[in-house]
Amino acid sequence: MPSPLRIVLAKVGLDGHDRGIKVVARALRDAGMHVIYAGLWQTPEAVIRTVADEDADWLGLSLLSGAHMTLVPRVVELLRAAKLENVGVLVGGIIPEADVPKLLALGVAKVFGPGTSLDEIVEFLKQRSEAGHA
Amino acid sequence: MLDALWDGFRRHDRLALARLLSLAARGEAISSIPSPPKSSRVVAVTGSSGVGKSTLIGQLIEHLRGQGKTVAVLACDPQSPLSGGALLGDRFRMAGPHDDGVFIRSLATPGGHGAVAERLDLLIRLVESFGFDVIIVETVGAGQGDTAARNLADVAVLLLQPESGDDLQWEKAGVLEVADVIAVHKADLPGAEQTAAQVRATLDVGRQSQTPVLRVSSKTRAGLGELWQAIEACPLRRGPESDSPTELLQSLERELAARFAKAERSRPTDWSQAMAAWRSGEADAVARLLQLLADPEV
Repeated sequence: MPSPLRIVLAKVGLDGHDRGIKVVARALRDAGMHVIYAGLWQTPEAVIRTVADEDADWLGLSLLSGAHMTLVPRVVELLRAAKLENVGVLVGGIIPEADVPKLLALGVAKVFGPGTSLDEIVEFLKQRSEAGHA
Repeated sequence: MLDALWDGFRRHDRLALARLLSLAARGEAISSIPSPPKSSRVVAVTGSSGVGKSTLIGQLIEHLRGQGKTVAVLACDPQSPLSGGALLGDRFRMAGPHDDGVFIRSLATPGGHGAVAERLDLLIRLVESFGFDVIIVETVGAGQGDTAARNLADVAVLLLQPESGDDLQWEKAGVLEVADVIAVHKADLPGAEQTAAQVRATLDVGRQSQTPVLRVSSKTRAGLGELWQAIEACPLRRGPESDSPTELLQSLERELAARFAKAERSRPTDWSQAMAAWRSGEADAVARLLQLLADPEV
């Protein structure tokens, strides 16, 4: 039996909107994944520590604050510096269309905007892990 | 790959520790764990859900860091028996931000293993070998009879809260008697003193009159220092390999369960015969099943 995917879900920066990330956490749990919920107001450094200590396969960041172009590059950069470049990064929340390609170019695996169904996220993670990539 | 991990582990690389913990938790072989630089104090924190285990552990972490002690936390949260999924939310309540002296690992915990994750003994030995001063194990929070955690730890701390049942509740076997230290948490709320007095009275009737009962509040931080003093005053219980039989029995149970499930698929005829024998109450049904499971072809 393959071991369940471990995914850290976190909100970085000053952003108090955690309804969405909690719904996603629940959906991933119900899909058989191990979800480590790091919660609100995390610094990029704290997120990296969590991903490292928890030996996570994936990191899901939720941003509704508009600070994604500041915080996501920082997180990705720190992941590399910590030799965690094999950890897949997902971004969810309010991300303007024009920023999506920029985030993908940074190495984000996928950006899930408003209207994304929970099944879509679950399917994406399952397919990617079957293909051997976290 | 394992060699590289152990190299990293010896160089004090946290990623190597994290990876080895994953392998060990999954039941994969990790070969021998180096003997620890010193014995850690292993503290199990147990109590019903919502009593504030994670929050109090967060406060203890800060208190211990203030004393310059390094802390590892192994936080057990339940795993769904249906999907196998788990929402591990303990570390979220342990505040932070933490420095290099703190390591927190969340562990999904299947039901029926005494409120702690599988192979917890091994995981404790791994973090101990890495060299943490204090290892805190947070149980799932079944509340009653968390004996597995007690056996693996030096000190078992039971958390209660005000208004959490009358004194008959404390008379139930396994609630108080597994505890080395009892703390009435949320002591800033009314009723804490009364709860502590009830527990005290119950203990005095039995053979546990020496067990400290303290009041502590994570909100005001009152009683935190006293709680740690009480924990430190307890003698270290873990002896050399004293828990091996229990742990070995648990491993055996897991192996049997795995083979049982496999046999249902690989040897359906033998399996259903064994089931039929069991249903009709044949005395040797279990013995016959054991024979089937011992077959390496299964």
